[in-house]
Amino acid sequence: TPVPSWPVRTWPWGSWGLGPRSDALFPVCPAVFQLSRKVTSVVPESCLLILLGLGLGGIVLAIAKRAEYQLEPSMFFLFLLPPIVLDSGYFMPSRLFFDNLGAILTYAVIGTLWNSFATGAALWGVKQAGLMDAGVDAGLMDFLLFGSLISAVDPVAVLAVFEEVHINETLFIIVFGESLLNDAVTVVLYKVFNSFVEMGPAHVQATDYLKGVASFFVVSLGGAAVGLLFAFLLALITRFTKRVRIIEPLFVFLLAYMAYLAAEMVSLSSILAVTFCGICCKKYVEANISRKSRTTVKYTMKTLASSSETVIFMFLGISAVDTSKWAWDTALVLGTLLFILLFRAVGVILQTWVLNRFRLTPLDRIDQVVMSYGGLRGAVAFALVILLDGDKVRAKDYFVATTIVVVFFTVLVQGLTIKPLVKWLKVKRSDHHKPTLNEELHEHAFDHILAAVEDVVGHHGYRYWRDRWEQFDKRYLSQLLMRKSAYRLKDEIWDVYCKLNIRDAISFVDQGGHVLSASRLTLPSMPSRTSMSESSVTNLLRESGSGACLDLQVIDTVRSRRDKEDAVMHHVLCGSLYKPRRRYKASYSRHFISPSTQERQDKEIFQQNMKRRLETFKSTKHNVCSAKSKARLKKDGRKKVRCVGALTCTHRASPSFLPAAAVLVAVDSDDEESDSSETEKEEDEGIVFIARATDAILQGKKASGSLDVCPSPRIIPPSPTSAERELPWKGDRGDLAVYISSETTKIVPVDMQAAWKQSISSLESVASPPGAEPGPHAKTVAGPAPEERQMMPEPRTCFQFPNPLLRSSRSQSAGSPERTEQPELQPLMAPDEHGRMSTSAGPSNSRWLIQFNRPARFSDG
Amino acid sequence: MRMKVYTFPSLSRLFYRYRDLAPQLVPLSYIDKPDVKLPYELIGSMAELKDNPFRQRIAEVFSEDGEGNMTLDDFLDMFSVLSEMAPRDLKAYYAFKIYDFNNDDYICKSDLEKTVNKLTRNELTPEEVCLVCDKVIDEADQDNDGRLSVEDFQHMIVRAPDFLSTFHIRI
Repeated sequence: TPVPSWPVRTWPWGSWGLGPRSDALFPVCPAVFQLSRKVTSVVPESCLLILLGLGLGGIVLAIAKRAEYQLEPSMFFLFLLPPIVLDSGYFMPSRLFFDNLGAILTYAVIGTLWNSFATGAALWGVKQAGLMDAGVDAGLMDFLLFGSLISAVDPVAVLAVFEEVHINETLFIIVFGESLLNDAVTVVLYKVFNSFVEMGPAHVQATDYLKGVASFFVVSLGGAAVGLLFAFLLALITRFTKRVRIIEPLFVFLLAYMAYLAAEMVSLSSILAVTFCGICCKKYVEANISRKSRTTVKYTMKTLASSSETVIFMFLGISAVDTSKWAWDTALVLGTLLFILLFRAVGVILQTWVLNRFRLTPLDRIDQVVMSYGGLRGAVAFALVILLDGDKVRAKDYFVATTIVVVFFTVLVQGLTIKPLVKWLKVKRSDHHKPTLNEELHEHAFDHILAAVEDVVGHHGYRYWRDRWEQFDKRYLSQLLMRKSAYRLKDEIWDVYCKLNIRDAISFVDQGGHVLSASRLTLPSMPSRTSMSESSVTNLLRESGSGACLDLQVIDTVRSRRDKEDAVMHHVLCGSLYKPRRRYKASYSRHFISPSTQERQDKEIFQQNMKRRLETFKSTKHNVCSAKSKARLKKDGRKKVRCVGALTCTHRASPSFLPAAAVLVAVDSDDEESDSSETEKEEDEGIVFIARATDAILQGKKASGSLDVCPSPRIIPPSPTSAERELPWKGDRGDLAVYISSETTKIVPVDMQAAWKQSISSLESVASPPGAEPGPHAKTVAGPAPEERQMMPEPRTCFQFPNPLLRSSRSQSAGSPERTEQPELQPLMAPDEHGRMSTSAGPSNSRWLIQFNRPARFSDG
Repeated sequence: MRMKVYTFPSLSRLFYRYRDLAPQLVPLSYIDKPDVKLPYELIGSMAELKDNPFRQRIAEVFSEDGEGNMTLDDFLDMFSVLSEMAPRDLKAYYAFKIYDFNNDDYICKSDLEKTVNKLTRNELTPEEVCLVCDKVIDEADQDNDGRLSVEDFQHMIVRAPDFLSTFHIRI
């Protein structure tokens, strides 16, 4: 017969039955909560999780008759806490953090010291007054110990609750930063008092107090130093991971975790270590690793942090049912609750009063209320109290019960009420409403005015030092820690430009989705406003090709006229307002990744470029027209060259490598790149290639006359002579006459359509690179009559003007060598092309340039 | 509209800064009330100001002669307006004056056009600028006279959440 009892014991609730299963279940919970917006709009997720944990614990207790699970301190500190801290450090809005560092440090250090001493002493006073049960066997040191662990604001709880309240960034960063940085104080106080209790109060000497103070500095500064060291290492390592892209993200987690463990090992503040590691390494790591790795790091970090948070709160709930460790004393519990609230409020008010004398924007009453009310206690306190040694600290059971009550009270009651409170007090929320036109305009103006006045007075404040740091960083640190290519690409805007092309291409594909902002959608539905040069590629596309609206959903978005105008105005302004040096906004959210400032700047730069390009687009049109009116033959050619020269001048300010129209086609090839070819290509390289490759195509296009208006600043790059050789108009005057005469506006839409179709077709078959089969097209160009080209029956042909056409258009026989050349387009995306392409200096080492030179050779031969 | 809100250190710092702009012009002692003006060229030629679109306008508004030549008093006034203690209305008033290019106590369309052009470095076409200005006036104009009075402007600016927190300088 089978063994009698063990199957029953190990049945789901057995010690290895529930563990894995509930763990797997944990991440599901927030997902469910996230779904039910109605519930979470009232109740914070953390509360729900704790309640769920309580329920689960209750079930376990009912079935197994004893509490099976506990939030183990070791598990908490070694596995659950690091991801959360790393996540918050890594995605910390560092500008905001350092802007408020003074306040944060004050609250974290002085506030925590005050809280713990005051709470401990007050509780001891209550005990002395005889209000407490005799069972609470604790002296002054015990109470101070308890005070130290109960007074620390908990980062996990703060994050969980405040994230859903959406208070303004400054307030959030102060409370959250405090909760992160007070770790050092908590750790030191806890350790010092713990050792005092263990030694027995009688044996504590004056030097021990001094040691305690010294150890504070050692622990906090040491922790930060460890973090910095590992951040440095991490940045350095990622500099050399070019060949091992896959494990790049791993390094990030590994080294951050090592920082945590190292700090923990030498009993420094591990939270500080990870926080600083995250804050400091981010810039360099992001620059070094590839885009895919970046995405991986981002999502993995968020996922890990979210699951840890879930697990922590669930376990808090589960652990609370374990009554065997409880010992209730009403006076202690109530006293603690009262004192932590009272002293927190007093501390905040006092410190704010001092701080406000130095702050630019004072923290007002309401801020103070939120700050004192937002002092949530959480799992850290719980884990610390569990860690106490029951033999030495005889009142441990009472402390545990009190801590659980305090944690539950703060997370449940305060967490639940803080949202209505914030609403009721009308705390400035972080609002994402669109500013009115006036605000937008005036805020810009004010910023400029202020900057001017500060400059007049020669005021070197915080900004001055930040500039100095940035210079140092640029001159030494970045050079050391960043990949050569990353570093170089960084200060050349063209990397940005390439990225933006990709982004725009993606949004081009899923138009109508959330990627496109409302304004972009509105524009095409208003053909009357063609003068509004909305500066996005897609609109450029659609606008010029208004006959062929590429997106069906666009038409569906019918808006009131007023809305439309509003949006258009906003974006007209947005595109062209140039920013003063200041202005940054940042926020932190666990669940939603906001676009970084970098991206916003990218966008701005990009829009400016497009704007300028549009301008040149127009102006060239003029030039060409005038050229047309003149004599056609030789003069024409010269004229053209001249006006192109002029254009290059105007373009020098902007990232000058790429021709305007390259964007148009880049979009298409990007589609192909991003969608169809999931094969392993390094994106960055892909982009680089595309920008240029389309360039090549474009030249053909240009020669055809459809987009002759687009300047080709690609001629600028280092070797103008070689570039000149490739220019269609330089050598080939006969063609020129043709394409100038064929300059009409009508061709453009047709061509756009063609381009679009082309990209679609290339989506279907990666094998056929854009611009293959140049043969038929060459014929068309050679055709002398412009009318014929206007009618252009088959769009495909008019799109694929490959560069070889430069010469071969006259001699159609050259078709075959072109064909041989085309397949090279794809292999060019090979990852290792990256560096070389960006240099573009040495013609010998890049297949790329060879490709370009080929047409020239054709003509020579 | 004059109010002194400085402490001594910031006052002396301001004075030395003012003097550093033109050491040969500004005497060290102001006891005998010398009549010294820094010409606008000196202020506007500072490297930091080169890119600032409003430099001239600021100097003009805060200078007594309206041409950008600043006495020490003007210089100090400029900062008292922008200091934290200055009431919001005062700031709004000066902001208004900065916008009011033609000094007619109304922000009319031409003023706004100038502002927009300055802010966008003349990148917009005239039609676009015109549209923007119409829109702005439409948004803020309370009495429908097609231009913004001080009241319109203050009403609008007070609603802007960041105005008070951004529009000041601490030295």
